[in-house]
Amino acid sequence: MEDVQSLHGASADATPFADAPPVFELINVSHCFGDLIALRNINLRIGPGERVALVGPSGAGKSTLLNLLNGSLRPSAGVVRALGFDLAQLSPRALRQVQRQIGVVYQQFHLVDNLRVIHNVNAGALGRWSFLKAAWSLIWPQEVERAAQALAQVGILEKLYARTDQLSGGQQQRVALARVLVQDPVAILADEPISNLDPERGREIMDLLFRLSEKMRKTLVVSLHTIEYAYTHCHRIIGLREGGVLFDAPPAEVTPDMVRTLYRIAKE
Amino acid sequence: MAQVSEIRRPNSTALPARPALLNGRSLWLLLLLLAIAWSLGQASVFGREIVNPGGWPLLLRFLHSSVRPDLSQEFLMLTFNAALITLGYAVCGVALSTLLGLLGGVLMSEVWWKALRTSRREKEDHHAPWLMARSVFAIPRAIHEVIWGLFFVNILGLTPLTAILAIAIPFGAITAKVFSEILDETPRRPMEALLHGGASPAKAMLYGLFPLAFPNVLSYTFYRLECSIRSSTILGLIGAGGLGYELLLSLQSLRYEQMWTLLYALFALNGATDYWSGLLRRRLGAVGRIELHMTHVARQPQHAPRQDIVVRASLTAAIALLVFSLWYVRPNPGQLLAPHTIERLVVVAGNSFPPDFMEQGSVLLRLSLQTLAMSILAMTFAGVTGVVLSFLAARNFLAPGGILLPADALWGWRLFSGGMLLLTRAMLLIARSIPPPIWALVLLFVLFPGLLPGALALGVYTMGILGRLMAEAVENLDERPLRALKAQGAPGPHVFLYAALPSTLPDYVAYILYRWEVTIRETVVVGLVGAGGLGRLLTEQLSNFDYRGVTATLICYLALTILVDLLSATVRRLLR
Repeated sequence: MEDVQSLHGASADATPFADAPPVFELINVSHCFGDLIALRNINLRIGPGERVALVGPSGAGKSTLLNLLNGSLRPSAGVVRALGFDLAQLSPRALRQVQRQIGVVYQQFHLVDNLRVIHNVNAGALGRWSFLKAAWSLIWPQEVERAAQALAQVGILEKLYARTDQLSGGQQQRVALARVLVQDPVAILADEPISNLDPERGREIMDLLFRLSEKMRKTLVVSLHTIEYAYTHCHRIIGLREGGVLFDAPPAEVTPDMVRTLYRIAKE
Repeated sequence: MAQVSEIRRPNSTALPARPALLNGRSLWLLLLLLAIAWSLGQASVFGREIVNPGGWPLLLRFLHSSVRPDLSQEFLMLTFNAALITLGYAVCGVALSTLLGLLGGVLMSEVWWKALRTSRREKEDHHAPWLMARSVFAIPRAIHEVIWGLFFVNILGLTPLTAILAIAIPFGAITAKVFSEILDETPRRPMEALLHGGASPAKAMLYGLFPLAFPNVLSYTFYRLECSIRSSTILGLIGAGGLGYELLLSLQSLRYEQMWTLLYALFALNGATDYWSGLLRRRLGAVGRIELHMTHVARQPQHAPRQDIVVRASLTAAIALLVFSLWYVRPNPGQLLAPHTIERLVVVAGNSFPPDFMEQGSVLLRLSLQTLAMSILAMTFAGVTGVVLSFLAARNFLAPGGILLPADALWGWRLFSGGMLLLTRAMLLIARSIPPPIWALVLLFVLFPGLLPGALALGVYTMGILGRLMAEAVENLDERPLRALKAQGAPGPHVFLYAALPSTLPDYVAYILYRWEVTIRETVVVGLVGAGGLGRLLTEQLSNFDYRGVTATLICYLALTILVDLLSATVRRLLR
């Protein structure tokens, strides 16, 4: 445990983003679901443009952490700041304003199956659109050019008017990415975005996600079931285990031993 | 914005063509709008006074009586007995219809005939017996309980058996169809294993298929009990006794205080049954009612249902209720085989043929069109209001802790939305508890007679049924797309528009279309109180013993039913 602690300290200084005001900041955050403690006493700072991988076994608290970052959950204790705002203190309207700057990609895509692709992509713009414009767009699609651009970037422009449920899993995740592109947020959270895809499709989506966040200098926090992509694509790897941070270090400093400890089966 | 445009879409790649606004669906929508306009014309809404201002004092008096129902001991006893009779007919009717449904369901299922072939080692498919079973059960389904009731009144007189048979025959046919669908959608592997092991088809089905289908069958049987209470009340109006009969008596003699006592009993009876059935359905993890009518594959329940205390208690209570009902209403099955029953059946049958179209040919056509218009107006009203109310009545939507209201919202909002939830649920319960003819009579206080009060009465009643079933569908909704849009900061109304509505509306429309098939049959019910259409003619012909005319009217009904079934099935197929 001691060497892990020191690594944690070292990484904070080594991060090139340490000086800029953080996009996300967690101070002494804990979260419980009833009796179950999902996260305990987490302290984190994530800077602008930083790409962070959350790794760890299932049940380690990765999803809970992501849900705290965009205000979908409120912490049982501690403070979560996003873009400088304490999320727990915001009115619903102000919280929505912050949430518009945070895009999310999910494991199960979370698209509306029986809408056309264009509407699912345009759903990213709902935070900016008036109700009337949103309603009219369902009949006569609005801002088609922008949606088409987003779809071209994820490589499925030809599916613009297809029905979403007729797309393959990989294509649906691309639609979800296009939705985030149209939303144009400051930060992207991705919750195991490739766990539902075959390895080849998974690699494509991962490459796309990292390329897009790099080009547009968006902060990216991605939770991953396996650690391999974290090495190749991220500035920083955070190992979560049983609700606590086991290590927080640049990929070069994450040793196979640390990874083994992360996924080790708990001794009875 | 500037960042996005860094990587521009190459101008050489063309955008996919925008789909035309005018497609199959929008054409049907246009057709629907035309049909509604035509129906409004049929109801002569345009250029005529609709509201009768003279009726307001009467309506006010009626509403005012709601706060002082007749609570004298004598009348409470009468109400209690009437409620038990209505319940008794309903329970006996459902029990008999379930028996019929099980028998018919097996005969109508593909899986039974396939099992028979497998065990006889026949190669070819024989569709003939299966199709025959299907058509035999199609006719009783097409005729409404009230017509069956009026028929049995003529044969058996006003006896408990009349009410029970009037419920059991059409319900049995509907149940058989649904059971056969459940059986066909249940996984077949266990049954096939038994068949290949040499078990007879009946045994293989009993051990390999029924246990798997049981939760869905049970859940549907309890849903039928909800419907049966409503039908049993309506049958009361033709003199079978119970709450419906007493309601009509007190309304006609203008004793509104008594009427409200009976209405409160009706709300309690319906509310209790619906709650029981809904609870059981959730415990069984069985598919929602709406899903049963769609093409969704039936979900298998997550946990072993018979271990559940609620399920076991419900089964025991249901059997006890059946025994009590049989003892309380004392139907006499011997009546069916009594000589004078058969005598009368022969007389009625002899007088009914050939059907007499000649005398009132043009009238029949005009009334058929009116009936169609009435059903369209009723469904338009019920569909629109049902969809709106269903979201307000769903526990997971606007209610505290629901999709659109965070659990830690201001207490004022939570109080408001909690109140809305209770209010809409109560409205829906009241709407479906009061039989359509009573609604029609109440509406006639302030509306001039014609198609409109009948259509509205049917619409309000159907709204109560639709709204509840749709609220259940909203509660079973996949919430993840909604929560995803909410997490990116989209306001509530936008989330509703882009996630809630698109994922429910196709099922809603399909269910409204299915319900239209039911409503066209139900137009006969408001005809009882003179609200126009074929129902009114039928009631007149029956009281004049004009059986040949009755047969002609029934044939018109059958034709209308088939037309609506075909239309509804066509549009539903298009929606998939």
